[in-house]
Amino acid sequence: MTPRLREPPARMAVPASLATVLADICGPEGVVLDEDRLLAYESDGLTAYRHRPGAVALPRTTEEVQGVVKAVADHGLPLVPRGAGTGLSGGALALNRAVVLGTARMNRILEIDPANRRAVLQPGVINADLSAAVASHGLRYTPDPSSQTACTIGGNVAENSGGPHCLKHGVTSRWITALKVVLPDGSTTLLGGRGRKPQGYDLTGLFVGSEGCFGIAVEIEVALLPVAEGVRTLLAVFDRIEDAGQAVSNVVGAGLLPAAMEIIDGPTIRAVEDSVYAAGYPVDAEAVLVVEFDGAEAGLDRQAERAVELCRRAGAREAKSARTEAARVALWKGRKKAFGAMGRIAPDLLVQDSTVPRTKLPEVLKGISETAERHDLVVANVFHAGDGNLHPNILFDRRDPDQLAKVEKASKEIMRLCIDAGGTITGEHGVGLDKKHHMPLVCGPGELEVMWGARRAFDPDGRMNPGKVLPDETAPEEATAARAEPPAASPDRGRSSGGSPSAVLELFPAQRVLEDDEARAWCGGFAARAVVFPESVDELRAAVREANQAGVSVAPAGCGGWLWAGGWGRQADVVVSTQRMNRVRLYDPAELTMTAEAGLGWDALAATAAANGQWLPVDAPGSREGTLGGLVAAGVSGPLRGHFGAVRDNVLGVVVVAGDGRLLRFGGRVVKNVAGYDLVRLLTGSRGSLGVVTDVSIRLFPRPEAVATLLFQDATVARVVEAARSVCTSSLPVAAVEVVQGDEGQLAAAVRIVGGREEVDDLHERVVDQVGAEPARALLDAQSDAFHEERTRWEDAAPLVVRMTVLPSLLARTVDSARRLAALLDDGELCADAAGGVVRVKGSPRSQKIDQLAGAVDQACAELHSWGGTLSISHAPPALGARLDSSKADQVPALLNRRLKALFDPNSAFSHRCP
Amino acid sequence: MTSSTAALAQAVKEQEQGLMACVHCGFCLPACPTYRRLGDEADSPRGRLYLMQAVVEGRLTADSDAFQTHISRCLGCRACEPVCPSGVAYGHLLELARHSAAEARRPPLLARLLLTVFGRSWLTRLAMLAARLLRAVGLPALVARLGPPAAVPGPVRLGMAMLAASAPARPPAPSKAVKPPRPPAPDDPKPARPPRPHPSAPDLAPPPPTVGVLAGCVQAGLFSRVNHATVRVLEANGYRVLPMPGQGCCGALHAHAGDLGAARALARRNVVAIEAAGVDHLAMNASGCGAAVASYGSLLAGDPAFAVRAADVAARTMDVSQLLARQGGPAPGGPVPLAATCDAPCHLLHAQGVEGAAETLLAAVPELDLVPLDNAAECCGGAGIYGLSQRELGSRIASDKVHAVLATGADAVVTANPGCMMQIGAGLRLAGKPLPVFHPVELLDESYRRAAR
Repeated sequence: MTPRLREPPARMAVPASLATVLADICGPEGVVLDEDRLLAYESDGLTAYRHRPGAVALPRTTEEVQGVVKAVADHGLPLVPRGAGTGLSGGALALNRAVVLGTARMNRILEIDPANRRAVLQPGVINADLSAAVASHGLRYTPDPSSQTACTIGGNVAENSGGPHCLKHGVTSRWITALKVVLPDGSTTLLGGRGRKPQGYDLTGLFVGSEGCFGIAVEIEVALLPVAEGVRTLLAVFDRIEDAGQAVSNVVGAGLLPAAMEIIDGPTIRAVEDSVYAAGYPVDAEAVLVVEFDGAEAGLDRQAERAVELCRRAGAREAKSARTEAARVALWKGRKKAFGAMGRIAPDLLVQDSTVPRTKLPEVLKGISETAERHDLVVANVFHAGDGNLHPNILFDRRDPDQLAKVEKASKEIMRLCIDAGGTITGEHGVGLDKKHHMPLVCGPGELEVMWGARRAFDPDGRMNPGKVLPDETAPEEATAARAEPPAASPDRGRSSGGSPSAVLELFPAQRVLEDDEARAWCGGFAARAVVFPESVDELRAAVREANQAGVSVAPAGCGGWLWAGGWGRQADVVVSTQRMNRVRLYDPAELTMTAEAGLGWDALAATAAANGQWLPVDAPGSREGTLGGLVAAGVSGPLRGHFGAVRDNVLGVVVVAGDGRLLRFGGRVVKNVAGYDLVRLLTGSRGSLGVVTDVSIRLFPRPEAVATLLFQDATVARVVEAARSVCTSSLPVAAVEVVQGDEGQLAAAVRIVGGREEVDDLHERVVDQVGAEPARALLDAQSDAFHEERTRWEDAAPLVVRMTVLPSLLARTVDSARRLAALLDDGELCADAAGGVVRVKGSPRSQKIDQLAGAVDQACAELHSWGGTLSISHAPPALGARLDSSKADQVPALLNRRLKALFDPNSAFSHRCP
Repeated sequence: MTSSTAALAQAVKEQEQGLMACVHCGFCLPACPTYRRLGDEADSPRGRLYLMQAVVEGRLTADSDAFQTHISRCLGCRACEPVCPSGVAYGHLLELARHSAAEARRPPLLARLLLTVFGRSWLTRLAMLAARLLRAVGLPALVARLGPPAAVPGPVRLGMAMLAASAPARPPAPSKAVKPPRPPAPDDPKPARPPRPHPSAPDLAPPPPTVGVLAGCVQAGLFSRVNHATVRVLEANGYRVLPMPGQGCCGALHAHAGDLGAARALARRNVVAIEAAGVDHLAMNASGCGAAVASYGSLLAGDPAFAVRAADVAARTMDVSQLLARQGGPAPGGPVPLAATCDAPCHLLHAQGVEGAAETLLAAVPELDLVPLDNAAECCGGAGIYGLSQRELGSRIASDKVHAVLATGADAVVTANPGCMMQIGAGLRLAGKPLPVFHPVELLDESYRRAAR
């Protein structure tokens, strides 16, 4: 029984017909219609604006959300999703009396799956409640925005929230593996999913951070991590904030990777110490730096000691570790509640969220304090220093109009300052209403147009959260851009090309053109009439533009190793290779980021990073022969993805030449960036179907001091799989667990450990204990590296490679299925990423048994589908490839994918299709 | 603007400093039992503060449905205060808002009736006498036992169940007791002797600190056994308990309901009585009253004759658990074999910031097993007369508490406020699981009694 708590409202803004429908859907308790009561929804965490909604609906289920979305659409009203209303950019405000869809009552955790380290939840689940709920399984949800005790996961998805601990573990986007979304027309669609190979573009990645403009996530699948075994938190006290900034650079530059690094400045310290969350920060300090390390217990002390030393060297007057858990918690409480505590200094505050390259922190901080002085304002800084994510809080009293104008001005100046330093306008709070007018500071008209297009792809009628994120004046004409639906069958240049490539080839000197047989040989079997090698972005644009006009099909390539991907049985008139665009543009090791041209080869990249004690932890198959651009376009990852993130999680910025020659830049070179929609993720893994990648900014990692690989071999396959899985499900922070071909035809579980020397030695012993057997071989340091380098080449030159993706808990039966397939092949062999749930089979098909093999693949495919997994073909001889292509799983949200493709490549100049 | 809204604006404006400190961060939302259940931000602390602000700004009237509904739907549990980084004095603002709301629109009859009864000591005594008689006859227990289809209106049933739940319960005998347990003599004026002299009370020590026990109204009327136990337990731990003639109801009910005039009058009377008794400390065993007396300073801040005196009394006020926690905790007693679960009264935990009060006292009781209670920090829904004035929502909150209690598998519930004892006890009775509900002091007293035997 639902008790009726509400009287019918005396005054309301929405039509009575809508009110009735909403009350029918959500129940009388689930709607707020009364004008007075709606006052409570006028603001979110940003009080500078007030916009009263027309009504609030509080659905509980997916069906209720669909009902509300449809009803509101039927009445032609806009809709604004709202979680806990803790956002700081005004994103949950209802402009023009829009209807608010609040997720407060969608607060159920639907599934906790410890074996696969995942959980599925409704959007209204509070961030901290999720971590509390999974704690009993020894797991945690890592993104921890400072508002985590109040904010919801749905809101985190909308904003792509960060938090102090995103320095090491990455922002929300990395931890969201699937979304069930109610689209603006009321239909539902499923994006992504653990245990399934992604089909089509990375729409999950694009949706995260879309600020409620693309739809409403009604079911969210998150990836979880084991609770850190050990934690060390230290506090360094500084008399100058610039010195604290320097300490951050020192720590990162020294190759340490803390879980979090936070700076709290003098004014904030004094506000916090005055509040109930007093953390014991010294009130006479001008800055404190909180540094936290987490991971395996062994070696943590040494890391903390080194950080203390580095802080002292930067000028800290005091630096020490928190001795007790209570002291540690207090240090964090002070940091996390700092924003609220500002209420003690001034009635209003405007919090900025710019991100800058972290080596620029000292100069930017100085600039901010000068700006504040110039405008006679108080600015309190509390921020994620390790990420370079600044939060200058400009304090003011809105009742003083004079001050308000100054705040506006100072705020814009600070943003400018950060952009000039190579940063962006928002790192984690989102654009919302507050910063949409500043978007042109970081996005050109071309990029804004693409963002509008992406938004319209999801929401053609502009119903979802209108007036946010993108500046109104850049909105495309309703009649043309919004309504132009890409034809279901766009001109497909992938099979038969009309035009002659000569016009394109003429743009290049003869020595940078390959034709006919030479071209086919370079392409490794992919059918192309010519290959050209531009040496500059201008040359590349000219070639693509010419091809687009001449109706010539283009296939982007690096070294040509991935041409088959997304191009089964396809051909192109011209392959454009970026191989000769291979310079490193910007690499400051202290930033842990590198910006380079797309054609930079793996070896050059790895060598440059290694010379500075860094590496790109990517072990994707095929990566070693390829280019940086190819790596991003292919978007594949290897077993290291679980520990360091996939390629998609470490690409910070991409520049592409679109199908009509437009040059588009998305993202940047800072590690946190939520200015606009996440087109970097859309482009990563788009396999040459959206654009030719010309430049990439990527995140690097300090090279670990020690590495080891332990091989546990057994004649019984089940025992090998069991050993691998037991390490995966333990809390041991190993880098990767694989099943590989061992000696004498046996399989072996390969456990890879990386970290400090003590950590690796300690984990070595504990992995042996966990497995309960001595390893057949223990490969240390260089041996281990060589072993894994070899493993990245496992697929190379194999005529047939089949990839099965399942939930990791289903590894054993998937390995059995793979073994049956391998038995049909000459030199059939399998390997598996035990934590990622990927099993690969390679070998040579016996020509007389093609039909039998195709049948077996089909059968395996059906089997995997029945387990919720997928099967895909990575390499196949043409005869088999064409047959198998049709057996690929259906393309998910086909219309969305088609619209997005048309956005970049309106005339289908690129021969490759949506992956 | 009508005169009542002008008065309201004035009253809330006085607190502007406090109100403006709300930066709308939303950290209070998950702490609020009504928001957690309804999901409506107007039923969250932030939302209510926003409505108060709207009244101050003249954008909303105090007699509007919105203001009346959401201000009255607040439990006043103040769980939002400890999580507020800005330190908004929500409880105080709520009282002022209720004052304005009550001025703008007459409160319901039941509320007015109760406030009248508790505003006059002779009426209070009379009502309590009637209640005790009714309880002694056993009618409330009978009514509470009847199933839902019974032809007894809900509020009456709840009221009867609460009354039945106020009856003394008997703690179980020590394991394998040879002789049958002596029934507790709740009103035995003779203090139980502690098993051994308290270490902090040596023979040649300075004179023991003096303490007064505020008897309260409901506490004195229905839980006099708790007051007697409090006196015995304090004396057993080296305090000298002095009488405080002239004391009466603390005024908490009135303040929470927005009748600040009556609350101030009652506060003045108590300040006079406490001063006259000349005690070092004022011991509180009802956390609602404790929170009220502890805020006498701010309640009477505007009264030049009483401001300083009230603040002095407030500073001397402590929960009995705090007094006993001094000097290393209460002296140990004899075994009371019982699996109990503790619910923290909001006005002890949130309003006075006293954590683990019952646990502190019960640590001195051997064989008493404390079972952790899920969501122990959340309000039970008692909240003064909330169970009666917001019956539906109140019963939802209460039923969650009852389910949490039953899920522990404990044999008894311990809580330190008469309202909570009756609310939880009534909920358990209505659910057909009448577990005994104790004040922690009762159990400690029983423990001393057993040790002395």
